[in-house]
Amino acid sequence: MRIVIVGGGIAAVYLANNLKKQDSALEVVILSEEKYRPYDRIHLCRLVDGAEDKEGISLVLDPRVKLELNQKINTIDKQNKKVFSDTSMFSYDKLIIATGSVPVSLFSVEGIKNAAVFRNADDCVKIKEGVGRSEFVIVGSGPIGLELLETLNEMPDVQKITLLLRGSHLYNVNLSIDAIKTIEKCYTKSGKIRISYGDEIVDKSIENGEIKLLKTKKLEIENPFVVFGVGIKPNIETFRESLACGKGILTNLFMQSEDEDIYAVGECAEIKDLGFVAGHVKECTLEADCAISHILGKETKEFKLEATIDMLKVGEFDLVDVSSPVFNSEYEKIVIASKKEKRIDEYFISDDKLSRFIGINSNVDVGYIETLINKGEDVDINYLYQNRLIGERGRLICSCEHMYHQDLVDIVKQSGIGSFLELSDFSEAGRVCGRCKMMVSNIIQDSQDLIDPDMPRKSAEDIKREKEIAEVAKRIDKFNLLHPRNELSTDNLESAMASLDIGKHEVNSWISMVTASMQLHPSFEQVVEGAVCNLNKVPIVWLELADCSGNSEAFIKSTNPAIEELIFDYISLDYHELLMSASGDQSENILEDIIKNQKGEYILIVEGAVPLAMDGKYLRIGPQGETGIELLKKCAKDAALVLAVGSCALDGGVVAAAPNPTGAVGVSEALGREDIINIPGCPTNPINIVGTLLSYIMFEELPALDKLNRPLWAYEGRVHDNCERRGHYELGEFVQEWGDAGAKKGYCLFEMGCKGPYANVNCPTMKFNSGTSWPVQAGHGCMGCTEVGFFDKFANERKYVEEQES
Amino acid sequence: MSLKKIVIDPITRIEGHLRAEVEVDETGIVREAYVSGQLFRGIELILKGRDPRDAGLLAGRICGVCTNSHFRAAVSCVEDAYSIELPKNAQIIRDLIAMALFIQDHVVHFYHLHSLDFVDVTSALQADPKRTSKEAHKYSDKPFRNSHSHYEDVLVKLQNFVKAGKLGPFSNGYWGHVDYKLTPEQNLILISHYLEALKFQTNISRAVAIFGGKTPHPQSIVVGGVTSVADMLNPQRLNDYLFIIKEAKEFIDRAYLPDMKLLVDAYKDEIKAGRGRANGNFLCVGGYEFEGEQRLFCNGVIYAHDFSAIEEFDETKVSEEIDRAWFSGEAKENEVCYTDLNEDKTLKTAKNEDKYSWIKAPRYDGRTMETGPLARVFVSYSKGNRLIKSFVEEFLSATDLELLDLSSTVGRNAARAIETSYICEYIFKLVSRLIQNVKYYDTDTWTKYDFGILEKNTAGRAFFEVPRGVLSHFVNIKEAKIENFSVIAPTTWNATPKNFDGLRGAYEEALIGLKIEDTSKPLEVLKVLHSFDPCLACAVHVIDAKGKELGAYKMKNT
Repeated sequence: MRIVIVGGGIAAVYLANNLKKQDSALEVVILSEEKYRPYDRIHLCRLVDGAEDKEGISLVLDPRVKLELNQKINTIDKQNKKVFSDTSMFSYDKLIIATGSVPVSLFSVEGIKNAAVFRNADDCVKIKEGVGRSEFVIVGSGPIGLELLETLNEMPDVQKITLLLRGSHLYNVNLSIDAIKTIEKCYTKSGKIRISYGDEIVDKSIENGEIKLLKTKKLEIENPFVVFGVGIKPNIETFRESLACGKGILTNLFMQSEDEDIYAVGECAEIKDLGFVAGHVKECTLEADCAISHILGKETKEFKLEATIDMLKVGEFDLVDVSSPVFNSEYEKIVIASKKEKRIDEYFISDDKLSRFIGINSNVDVGYIETLINKGEDVDINYLYQNRLIGERGRLICSCEHMYHQDLVDIVKQSGIGSFLELSDFSEAGRVCGRCKMMVSNIIQDSQDLIDPDMPRKSAEDIKREKEIAEVAKRIDKFNLLHPRNELSTDNLESAMASLDIGKHEVNSWISMVTASMQLHPSFEQVVEGAVCNLNKVPIVWLELADCSGNSEAFIKSTNPAIEELIFDYISLDYHELLMSASGDQSENILEDIIKNQKGEYILIVEGAVPLAMDGKYLRIGPQGETGIELLKKCAKDAALVLAVGSCALDGGVVAAAPNPTGAVGVSEALGREDIINIPGCPTNPINIVGTLLSYIMFEELPALDKLNRPLWAYEGRVHDNCERRGHYELGEFVQEWGDAGAKKGYCLFEMGCKGPYANVNCPTMKFNSGTSWPVQAGHGCMGCTEVGFFDKFANERKYVEEQES
Repeated sequence: MSLKKIVIDPITRIEGHLRAEVEVDETGIVREAYVSGQLFRGIELILKGRDPRDAGLLAGRICGVCTNSHFRAAVSCVEDAYSIELPKNAQIIRDLIAMALFIQDHVVHFYHLHSLDFVDVTSALQADPKRTSKEAHKYSDKPFRNSHSHYEDVLVKLQNFVKAGKLGPFSNGYWGHVDYKLTPEQNLILISHYLEALKFQTNISRAVAIFGGKTPHPQSIVVGGVTSVADMLNPQRLNDYLFIIKEAKEFIDRAYLPDMKLLVDAYKDEIKAGRGRANGNFLCVGGYEFEGEQRLFCNGVIYAHDFSAIEEFDETKVSEEIDRAWFSGEAKENEVCYTDLNEDKTLKTAKNEDKYSWIKAPRYDGRTMETGPLARVFVSYSKGNRLIKSFVEEFLSATDLELLDLSSTVGRNAARAIETSYICEYIFKLVSRLIQNVKYYDTDTWTKYDFGILEKNTAGRAFFEVPRGVLSHFVNIKEAKIENFSVIAPTTWNATPKNFDGLRGAYEEALIGLKIEDTSKPLEVLKVLHSFDPCLACAVHVIDAKGKELGAYKMKNT
């Protein structure tokens, strides 16, 4: 597929890079009207003061993306899917328009030497040339205008600057007077800048393409250099004829225009349903993600409005502006200010909800504010007050990546990186919208002396993993709090283990095995061990319904069984008919006690099918003659988790094989619930039960499941793909009859009806009975016992043909 | 005389769903007993209409504890129907899998399912390790792990266990009950072995898996032979198997058997009183090739403990009744006829025709029979089986018991242990026969047949001694599909309900006359029932046709 992107800014580059990243087979072309490679407009000021050249602010573009410069697109031929510039023609499968916006100026600056807009690299060159003039006049006080003001202020060759403002406010009309005064003071301190409020240009005299005199309502300025920072509008004039446009090119929530092959992303697009035009890099990248997902057809996501964050650091003051997309002027305001610290926090509140926050020299946790706005929770004023002080993570530096000051310092300390360039392995901070790049860079420089030269340096993976482990450890702590009733701790676990003569090395090897079989990195072992200790604390009820006890039996024979027995039979397995010493009423009391007093804490493991015919009376348990289904419902109601173990619990298994005389079904169907985890097998390999419990405890959520609700880590691999006899299959070496020469040599059993190609489970790698063997090793082949309806489909020694199903 | 009814449900530490109801008089003596299977699955109904070659994989799922027994029996009855003879190697490998299961099953049964009826965990805490070590020497020259430091360890760890507040499966036992008769030291010995046996049973399971692929539910038997030929030809696999059995024998001779002697010592009074004795009818079909004509177990039938007049087993005398089981004898075959419980959720037993169990009622010559290790020991020993003789005599003389005394709760366990010990001996002989075969280039493991030209309408049956007793599978084949399948498992015999004849089965009979000290803690009942090693998933089967006659399955004379 050929994707053509029109535009040369950050949206275009972001689109191109991510398209290529997600599908390297795509052909991606960028058509930019500029003569330079894409660069980051955010840093245009660096070109004005000469701190960087164009290379320095250029954006990183995937080298596989084709870049065409000097291509201003004039027409689209929608029918034939072609676009035309003056010189060339480009055909596309999908076209993405990301032309951004054009600046607004109060009069045309074209052909005038001393007037400019501030939008691209050429503008910067022009502005730089104006440094010799007697006075700069900046019109407008939006973020970009203010930044330029600051840049010019810092340049020694600039003598005088006038900021011309139509209104009586700086930055934003909603700011309080105190805030405006604070900002104003920062600017006017040096005496270079004067601010003229309530003023506007009324006249100008132009000679030889040069403004000689500029007249405003209040001032007359000779030989000025005028820069307009009054606003922008979508750059869509070229497309007005061919596409439906409002303020911008109208799109749906996937950024698709009325033509299904044309998308518009960024400042040039207007999402029709929301009437929304992006103004922040973050919004543009979100839009880009939606468009990409829609084009590639993978997990398509609709665009959703979120809070935006603007940050501005000018000279002595920091400005942070977090705004809800639905912010409007109907608000009440809470201001928390400190004269001493020159700090002003302004909270805009509508209907008890925070809709905007603007902070000057603020210490607040911006990430928290953002969440507060996005979640739309009621505002707690006390918290806002407490939040005025700086947190341990310091200030938010990168709002795109949510990196705080201390996070960056930590990365430097742990990894020993010395430059912004090296940071890219660890964090994208400063690279998404790029606004904070300088701050990030400065922090890295300032933290260099904190690096301990003798310390072993950590790689990016190390740091990532540490974070994950810390998360897991936190969850385990939380889990501990959930189960305070249990008195067992790591200490007495050890003595209990010792009581079964289990050496520490055995524990370790078992933990390694569980860790590996859950496909976790070895450094998770410690956490797994922690989870094992916790497992003891989880009360487990093991119900046997219409079953053969095969899974219970398998359990007590599990790999490194003594430990698993310890866990399941001796410490936490509180109710299990096969093993518990209590019978009759006494066993019922145990069950009642768990169900009543440990609601939401115990894990229910169910073995066997649930007969439903004859009102479920094919199975009755307990002194009250409860039916299997009654008992199951009672136990499942308040269980923290229900595991259906074995094939009968999955779908009725053998009991439900045709003609299903007792109307048996699996646990999930019997309960009418879809949150049951199935761990099928006939019997189930106990390692898969243990692993699933561990992952529940470690990650506090269900493991990733397949469509049968089986944990992916155990049931993802196809038996055939991991089979020890697979090599023989590839060579066409098959057993032709039982006991033949091929059978003696261990050839492939496919011709003998092995169902390995239809079964998904980890038998080939885990095997059974301490890794002693498995059906394929014993020369029989797999019978697909982890799959739905396997007794009617797979439980035989003949090759499977699809027709058999009907 | 007013009788009080005690309901025990669930009976735990057994396979499956068993309920017992006993009626006791004012003095706590059991006057009547009813045991009932509480789950029906209908595996035979599911087998109908399927390819006979698939019977094994499906019928194997009858039970995950007696795993392999049903797998093998189902395949064997199909082979019988088609008159397929097995290669020697296949026969031996099937036997090796079965024998390892005997050992595994018996040890798990005693220590993990039964011993807590004799062992008071809390009493063990009072034991003195030194005296414990001495005590163990009373029952064995070389007791298993008998240093007092070992017992100290067990004790300390047991105390920690209790301190931790979580007894897991040990919680809510009938601790302190007067029927616990062991001294603290004796309790400690058995607890120590309980823990050892956990490791033991995993290890012995590996022996099953070597030739079976896995256990529970091995997967290496097919109609005509076995599939694990590569394992058979691998000397390392054979060596592993032998090594595991050798280790097992250590435990059996130095822990399991001595523990039985210890129990006999402690419970001699009740043994002599015949506690837990059933009606004395024993059934054994024998089997497992030994040397020439000899078999590991002899076949035979004993009536009323008359060991001198043992009849040959005659399969034509086996019949099935369903008078008081939840099936219909009148209407069409296999009809389920569930009559529910009483309103107070007790079994309906008031009238002689009230149905109360899913278990059908097999009879031999019209009589209820006990089957299992005890029956095997009685029959084989009385018929002069050379291999077993010394084992039985050694045990009886060491414990000062008569043969008849074994017909009791404790005796049943003793018989099981004796059997386990001599099975180990037998296994060594089996393995050397296998090695001889392979050495002389007989590597056949499968008998070739062409399913397409086999008889379309035929029938077959298979009788096996399996850990819990006599297992029989019957198959009728019509148009190359299973027309009917029927199973009588050991627990079907032992846990049979009554018929119109009013005859009690072994479970029910063994409970009669039992004195229950505390009706809220019926430990005595559990002890008796557990001694049979109940397996309920096995026991429940539909009856074929109007029941009674199994002649329909009989095609050939044996």
